[in-house]
Amino acid sequence: MRLRREDLYPRLEPLLGQVAKPSRYLDHEWGAIEEQDGPFHVVLMYPDVYEVGLPNMGLSILYTAINRVEGMSCERGYLPWVDMADLMRAKEVPLLALESSSPIASFDVVGFTLAHEMACTNIVEALDLSRIPIRAEERAQDDPIVVAGGPSVWNCEPVSPMFDAVLLGDGEEAMVEICSCVRDARARDLSRRDILLALSRVQGVYVPSLYDVVVDETSTQWGYAVPKPKTGAPAVVYKRSLQGFSSTEPVPQRIVPYMDVVQDRLAVEVLRGCARGCRFCQAGMTYRPVRERPAEQVVAAAREGLALTGHDEVSLTSLSTTDHSQCAQILHALNEDVRGTGVRVSIPSQRLDSFGVEMAAEVGGSKRGGLTFAPEAGSQRLRDVINKNVTEKDIDTAAENAFRNGWRRMKLYFMMGLPTETDDDIVAINQTADRVLEIGRSVVGRGPKSGVSVSISVAVFVPKAYTPFQWCGQLDLEEVRRRQQLLLGTCPDHAIKISYHDAEVSLIEAVLSKVGRRGFDLILAAWRHGCRFDAWTDQFSFERWTDAAAEVGMDLEAIAAADTPLDARLPWEHTSPAVSQGFLRREYRRAAQGVTTPGCTRESCVGCGVCPKLGVENAIVGDRHGRH
Amino acid sequence: MADTSNQSRLRVRYRKDGRLAYLGHLEVLGTINRSIRRSGVPFAVGNGFARRIRLQFSQALPVGASSLGEYYDLMVTERLEPARALRMLRDATPRGLAPDAAAYVSRRLPALEAWVNRADWDVTVRGLRSADALAAALADLREIGELHYMRGEKPKSIDLGRALVSWDVAPCEEGLRVLLATRSSNDGALRPQVLLDAAFATERLAADVAEAGRPTLSVCRVGQWHEGEDGNLVEPLPTDGEGA
Repeated sequence: MRLRREDLYPRLEPLLGQVAKPSRYLDHEWGAIEEQDGPFHVVLMYPDVYEVGLPNMGLSILYTAINRVEGMSCERGYLPWVDMADLMRAKEVPLLALESSSPIASFDVVGFTLAHEMACTNIVEALDLSRIPIRAEERAQDDPIVVAGGPSVWNCEPVSPMFDAVLLGDGEEAMVEICSCVRDARARDLSRRDILLALSRVQGVYVPSLYDVVVDETSTQWGYAVPKPKTGAPAVVYKRSLQGFSSTEPVPQRIVPYMDVVQDRLAVEVLRGCARGCRFCQAGMTYRPVRERPAEQVVAAAREGLALTGHDEVSLTSLSTTDHSQCAQILHALNEDVRGTGVRVSIPSQRLDSFGVEMAAEVGGSKRGGLTFAPEAGSQRLRDVINKNVTEKDIDTAAENAFRNGWRRMKLYFMMGLPTETDDDIVAINQTADRVLEIGRSVVGRGPKSGVSVSISVAVFVPKAYTPFQWCGQLDLEEVRRRQQLLLGTCPDHAIKISYHDAEVSLIEAVLSKVGRRGFDLILAAWRHGCRFDAWTDQFSFERWTDAAAEVGMDLEAIAAADTPLDARLPWEHTSPAVSQGFLRREYRRAAQGVTTPGCTRESCVGCGVCPKLGVENAIVGDRHGRH
Repeated sequence: MADTSNQSRLRVRYRKDGRLAYLGHLEVLGTINRSIRRSGVPFAVGNGFARRIRLQFSQALPVGASSLGEYYDLMVTERLEPARALRMLRDATPRGLAPDAAAYVSRRLPALEAWVNRADWDVTVRGLRSADALAAALADLREIGELHYMRGEKPKSIDLGRALVSWDVAPCEEGLRVLLATRSSNDGALRPQVLLDAAFATERLAADVAEAGRPTLSVCRVGQWHEGEDGNLVEPLPTDGEGA
């Protein structure tokens, strides 16, 4: 039942003194849009706490885009932390949007960000707190239309029963079209089913209820989806891809939080997409093609954003900022702009080559904290398997340049359990770290006062949909633990610090990345067992997940570890980023042979299929060919 | 090292009210830092490693407490008319923290946090009715002198003989209205919640609290001053100087 739109802040306010960090629930931040007159009301929900959700770029983009439409208002919603959620339930206060403090269940459209798989129980929690029926099929005519979108839609089947519609790809235009479609359909008094049929005609929109899941000899146990007869729903829904990226609003983040948030700075998205082709990377495959903003637009946007927000740091964000063809030009200009103001310019990660170090030096000024690189694998053989396109010489040169430029602490990211990995590859992680340490000591000196240290962080590989490794199983728990011990046992120097991710969290992530629609039974059972905030180390409980799995008859370890035949139909084939399965199979085979594939922004087209399928192309403002 | 001799010290008074009463001290600091950057006021930047705005604040307010008069001192590189600076700052600050007065003060004054050492508080206590019992409990506590309490997991103590200057308790529509005058020092500042929690735990009030439950408070700092050695109270903002 649709709740009445009314300001319920007076019911929330008495709870603020009883919870941690009440500033999560206040609204009225600088830059928030207070006029929410509608008459069509949308709320964008980030299924985690305020400080995690507020900096989300996608949500900011959609908030700005929808609020610019005449007659539409868009608010924000976040999941309350467990203390507040429990109090709200006890006091019978439904989940509220921030700007108007109206119940989430009073909105016309509720949009969820699918940021990562581990947020799935938080979506259940949010719907339940909102008093919106959790399953889309249980919603009544007047209930809000609940949609989802974001980076983790590429196997949305296990969460799809909660959504009336799922948007694939870029949302700037598509989300406005979705809202317009719902508004027009409501104005015509269409039935809920007819609204969903209309949504399925919007390009890039997947309506799960219009598809049946078929399990047969051509599929895995999770089956594949086919459109229901007479719905006219497309057999494959292809993503939306915005060709005119540089004509979009370059400063969508205008809301300035009161509290510390996870990325407490102005962010300017300098480019979208990455064509380097790392074979484990879902974002690299699903955000193609590569589209850059011109240098002058980035600099002007940073200037405008800093003046609007008052931030003292601007971050140039993207999947690979130092790949921008005008990266050096942008950083030079920005540094000139902010000189003497105490404003810092930052980039989220460094490329593993001398250009990456040059750019790090450019943004760091005289400040030399730690420098982070991601070789991902220890041996050259395995780096070729994953198409990292980084050589040992690149690593050595980058490290030497970094130490010569004043850095003393080096952090290296690796993954464990990559396809074809052997014990030699694990030992090679330590050897790489040791080599970097030795380079540091040879440059800076060996004494304890030199301050040279290397830390390595090792994640467990999770196979993701629409990557060349989507057919691979995950390393089983016992073997992960053995290799973690091997890593610790072969560490050659106490100056190398090793940390690794919780293998049990990665196991659940792998399961959620792999299962089909039936996986929702597991998610719902896990939530009923008390799972929420699973991405938070102190809240995650593997025991609750295994209890839930036992209840629904699933073997988590077997699911995660299962390989999938290359010719099997996959549960996510009907929701496509337009990267062809043929390209992914070819990349899988090249991985097995240890053959690398160059990126298409420096070399010729690699035939991933995105550009011809979607009628788009790379939009590079300068020249990348001179830089490798 | 940058030359700071041309810098001026602008003192700004601001409120903390409405929803923003629930901001913590660090959140207020962060918000005002950004407001200053947005305002266009020519702020000075320190020479330290982090290159921060040269800015000092009066003593922290507890989360949930509102205030009619908080202060910060901002070093500026250009001596704008105070009225103009105030307008620029107000236009760039969220309403709940809006500045309402500004004036230049001597750069030789001690740091604001230590210099402003007296405060008046207006506290509404919901859930208690006996003004006499609460007043008597406060008198008992003052008589004892040293108040021991926990701040998180840390044991703390404060000398009420010095920190609690005066109190007045009267019935009001919502329960009781308590007016407190407090004095801070290097040893710490007395928070009304700490004092009243201790009063609620005394025998004089134990039965009332057991019956009605733990009282809830609305706390507002209504004024702050510097107490000179002669005991006179000095307004933080000069009334006859360059003020707005």
